[in-house]
Amino acid sequence: MADTHKEWLKELETASKAKQKSFIDSISSKLGRPRPMEKPAHPFRGAPDFWRSFEWSEEERIERFSANFKAAGGHVARLASYDDAKQFIVDKAAEMSAQYIIRQGQPELEAMNLEAAMPDAHISVWNTNQEENWRARAAEADFGVVVADYAVAYTGSITVLSAANKGRSVSLLPTVLFAIIPLKRLKTRLGEALINFDQAGRENLPAGIHFISGPSRSADIENDLTIGVHGPGVVYALFVG
Amino acid sequence: MSTASTKPSTVKERAGLALNDEFLRKAVKFTTERLRSGKKTASEEHGNWDDWRERGRQIRLHTIAHLDYYLNLFADNARANGVNVHFAETDVEAVKIALAIAERKQAKSIVKSKSMVTEELHLNHALEKIGVEAIETDLGEYIIQLAGETPSHIIIPAIHKNRYQIADLLSAEAGETLAPDTQILAGFVRKKLREKFLEADIGMTGCNFAIAETGSMVLFENEGNARMVSTVPKTQITLMGMERIIPSFEDLEVMATLLPRSATGQKLTVYMSGITGPRRTEDADGPDEMHIIIVDNGRSNQLGDPEFQELLNCIRCGACLNACPVYRHIGGHAYGGTYSGPIGAVLTPALKKDESQWDDIANASSLCGACYEACPVKIPLHDMLVYLRRRKVESGNGNLAEKVGMKGFSTLLGGSKRMRGVIRLGQLGQKLVERDGGIRIKLGPLKGWNTYRVTPSLPKQSFRDRWSTIQRETQAEGAVLDPALKARMEAVVAERKQGGGSKHGGHA
Repeated sequence: MADTHKEWLKELETASKAKQKSFIDSISSKLGRPRPMEKPAHPFRGAPDFWRSFEWSEEERIERFSANFKAAGGHVARLASYDDAKQFIVDKAAEMSAQYIIRQGQPELEAMNLEAAMPDAHISVWNTNQEENWRARAAEADFGVVVADYAVAYTGSITVLSAANKGRSVSLLPTVLFAIIPLKRLKTRLGEALINFDQAGRENLPAGIHFISGPSRSADIENDLTIGVHGPGVVYALFVG
Repeated sequence: MSTASTKPSTVKERAGLALNDEFLRKAVKFTTERLRSGKKTASEEHGNWDDWRERGRQIRLHTIAHLDYYLNLFADNARANGVNVHFAETDVEAVKIALAIAERKQAKSIVKSKSMVTEELHLNHALEKIGVEAIETDLGEYIIQLAGETPSHIIIPAIHKNRYQIADLLSAEAGETLAPDTQILAGFVRKKLREKFLEADIGMTGCNFAIAETGSMVLFENEGNARMVSTVPKTQITLMGMERIIPSFEDLEVMATLLPRSATGQKLTVYMSGITGPRRTEDADGPDEMHIIIVDNGRSNQLGDPEFQELLNCIRCGACLNACPVYRHIGGHAYGGTYSGPIGAVLTPALKKDESQWDDIANASSLCGACYEACPVKIPLHDMLVYLRRRKVESGNGNLAEKVGMKGFSTLLGGSKRMRGVIRLGQLGQKLVERDGGIRIKLGPLKGWNTYRVTPSLPKQSFRDRWSTIQRETQAEGAVLDPALKARMEAVVAERKQGGGSKHGGHA
């Protein structure tokens, strides 16, 4: 069955490649010229020039990020070390009686060792064995704990990238999300995070890149703001460093 | 879709229905004003808004002008990422591909995040026919799906429903009575749809932008349902309009600056996701299999058309709906197509190249230009509406009564004698219906106008009657002109004749 499905996909691919040629050629003909084979010059690529040199100091970045993130309904704390971040999560777990926790398998979190601080909680570490149903572990979790890859002050956003040890579900399915942000990763502009993906190139991109700017929300019922519609309803951004 | 057969056929009739619905009018007005003021605040706070708009316009213009190059690059890169890429020239082809995948996967249910393209294709209906349950997971879309309706706003699809109507719909689904409280209703939907996400065979998404250089697709959303749909099920199908392309992630910064601010006044939507291919072998979540269906369905007809090519620059933010005085009064359903508001009034007919199939939606605009002012990529929608009207008339599909009226008007008023006669006739005839200097009867050709206004009566003495007296008076007064002034004016006229005078601006 698996083989026949693969064959079927292969057939679709052959058909798609043939179709691609006529589809693209038809665009060229409607544009009234032959298809360009060289990369066209794009003089307006990216943000306007005046924007590219714009940068805030570290203190201002923290201040602006916090203001934006709080305005979107999120919470922010600035902590001196990973140990303090651990204590913060342990205290919140006690406060909210959180039992189920899922965390990424990132080295920073390994070193933080929440497991030792919370011996009674069910703590799962993403993708540590092949048999586990990891989506279900994330779906049942009260807390999800991740370390952010970037953060952007101007928009109040946390960026997380997927990998074998970094599940997309961990920042999505739990009720409460804790994102630890090493201060060095906090940028001023969105472009400072995005440029890395152009520079990395297609082959090196992860399957999922997610910018998270607060708790999940909707205003679909009479414009009344509702928090936590599908994603986490409570989000903590914890600055460390 | 049971409403299709009884649907009123003209914008005027549909708008009449909307105007009778007091709640709809208030809700639409409230929401659009809120979104509009949110946009105003956000764009002012950001600063240099027109520079950003111009940048956005240039990026879109460049991409569409080289769409063959960029779309081809995107398809090659997406395929290299492990995506199954498909091309569909028509709605029928796109539906066929989506159904084939669903059948092959023996799917029982599909969870969907917001996609205007799937609305355009009526895909849910087609899936239903082959026994696949298609579940909309955006809160607003879920509500209108339960109601069996279509979205009335690009960004807030259930703008026309109040919380009591929503509570009734959700209570029927829950099998118990839910209080008309936003938190309770949203809480029920969260729980209900969680189960659906986890058991669905396929996740289906739209696509806000597709990045040519990396083959990535980008989704903007606030609820997290688009992330669910593209993370949890084993198979992902993305439907994408062929013009959604931008070259790079760098360009995405400009789009991410313009889109959320224009749509809802947010600095960024809660989630912005860039998805590059299916799950990597070593990953523990994300889809195993990913399909992207690239849909034309009339879009390419705009290419090479100087009047409409810019239509493809649209980033589907909904700002023109919120700015439009007509939309604010009649709401989205009155437009009768998938896309409503000024963009819908142009896009719906433009996607159908056959003029005879156009109905009168291009007339649902006052041509005030508020849509252009609001547009983050500066699409001249008000000009396009005029082009559409012109094309419809040129192709012989204009309004017959209007044509006859115009012809009669030109015959009657084409000669001075006939015009004098008509005015005399009017001055005599109006004596029957005139009161207090105005005509108020709502009969015949005056019905439309007099329903809301009063037609002024013709004066006893017309301008033409008075002309000979006026001429005599002005000649007597203005006989002597200051010689210096006269010389200067003559010089100006002489210069203008030589083709100069451009330094004064005026008419080019």
